[in-house]
Amino acid sequence: MPGFVDLYTEADTFLHRMDPRVKILAVILLSLLAFVLSGLYSLLVLLAFIFLLLFLARATLSRTLFALKFVLRFMVLIIILWPIFDPSGTPVLASFGPVKITEPAVWRGVTSAARVGCLATVWYILMFTTSQRDLVRALVKMGVRFDFGLALAISLRFLPTFGALIDSIKDAQRARGLELAKGGPLRRSRNYVAVLVPTIVSALRTADSLSLALQSRAYGARADRTYLRDLRMRSSDGLVLGILIAIFVLPILAKYMLNIDI
Amino acid sequence: MSSDVNRSEPFGGVKPAGFVSPKTVALYGILTALTAAITYASYTPFSPTKGYFNLGDSMVFFSALTLGWRAGSVCGGIGSAAADILLGSGIYAPITLVAKGGEGFLSGVIGRTKNGTTWRIVAGICVGGSFMILTYFFGELIVLDVGLGKALAEVPINIGQVVLGGIIGALLSYYVRRSYPSLTAS
Repeated sequence: MPGFVDLYTEADTFLHRMDPRVKILAVILLSLLAFVLSGLYSLLVLLAFIFLLLFLARATLSRTLFALKFVLRFMVLIIILWPIFDPSGTPVLASFGPVKITEPAVWRGVTSAARVGCLATVWYILMFTTSQRDLVRALVKMGVRFDFGLALAISLRFLPTFGALIDSIKDAQRARGLELAKGGPLRRSRNYVAVLVPTIVSALRTADSLSLALQSRAYGARADRTYLRDLRMRSSDGLVLGILIAIFVLPILAKYMLNIDI
Repeated sequence: MSSDVNRSEPFGGVKPAGFVSPKTVALYGILTALTAAITYASYTPFSPTKGYFNLGDSMVFFSALTLGWRAGSVCGGIGSAAADILLGSGIYAPITLVAKGGEGFLSGVIGRTKNGTTWRIVAGICVGGSFMILTYFFGELIVLDVGLGKALAEVPINIGQVVLGGIIGALLSYYVRRSYPSLTAS
């Protein structure tokens, strides 16, 4: 199993310094924008904009490729499968028996693939530039209940721990003669139970001691808790927010008020 | 049902002001991490054309059948969505949140009873699994707009995932309850 990737990379760019709430909003607005835009070229512009941001966030090539690894395969499949299932449109490019490949269908497939590309990569603007702590802090500030935020922080904290735990239990069971890479999916999954049961029991023990630790640190003693570090919107954050809203609103105005097809 | 107040435990019995008990917070956080970690660790791409297979569903069913619909929906939904982001398929994360969350919710509501009879567990897994498959299908078709071909191609894989995940999740629920009885002692 490949090691867990912590998507966050330490760096000092304007995206790293930006208020995480603004970044969360940016991801949501840009995702919605991808649904509003329907032309291929405007979607490609959006995709280029997202990649520009990733580049400005100093995302290294290997990280960007990681973000793209899954998406590229997905996009290729959409482009291949779309025309096969969509026989509408007039200029027929090719036909094999009942299957007709038409030109508009091909373009629709490419457009949809571009949209999927936007939706898939826009996440990484947030994930590459925001530490887990900031992310949870921003969510709590945005109105997520503190205890839910804490549960989320705990789960993010323990993810790599459990990844390592699963690995060592796998090794231990292999040493006892368990074969995990043999047989079909059914057999393989059945063998996996021997890994999962110890993992779960061990994780539940962790949960027990964790709840003791929380209790001993007076978790939830007062409902009006205070924070050591607080998030504050700076003027540059306000500026980015303004630009963001403009980027989001202008295409919508152009599309629905001026009826420009974008 | 995993209640907020757990009186039979030596710790975690005190409900703090306005928050859920520390035991619940710890348990949910851990189960969410575990769901994501198991999805991630058991990730096996299996065909050259597409798709992957994982045991994430078994964890969703396990949480739902052992601890109830609340744990099933929260840990299943958030854990699976987190695994999606970590695996590089972040585009699925919002759909996964709804699909797996609903799956955990339904299988917990239907499948978990006081002395869970087998057919109720099976019914819970079937209803939850169907919800998951339908959500992915319509989510891909309508929300992501990937075309009928891609959305249809996903269905058989999801069915296989639900069948295997259901069997393993029910097995896990049985084994873990036996080897860790205090889990459901409340």
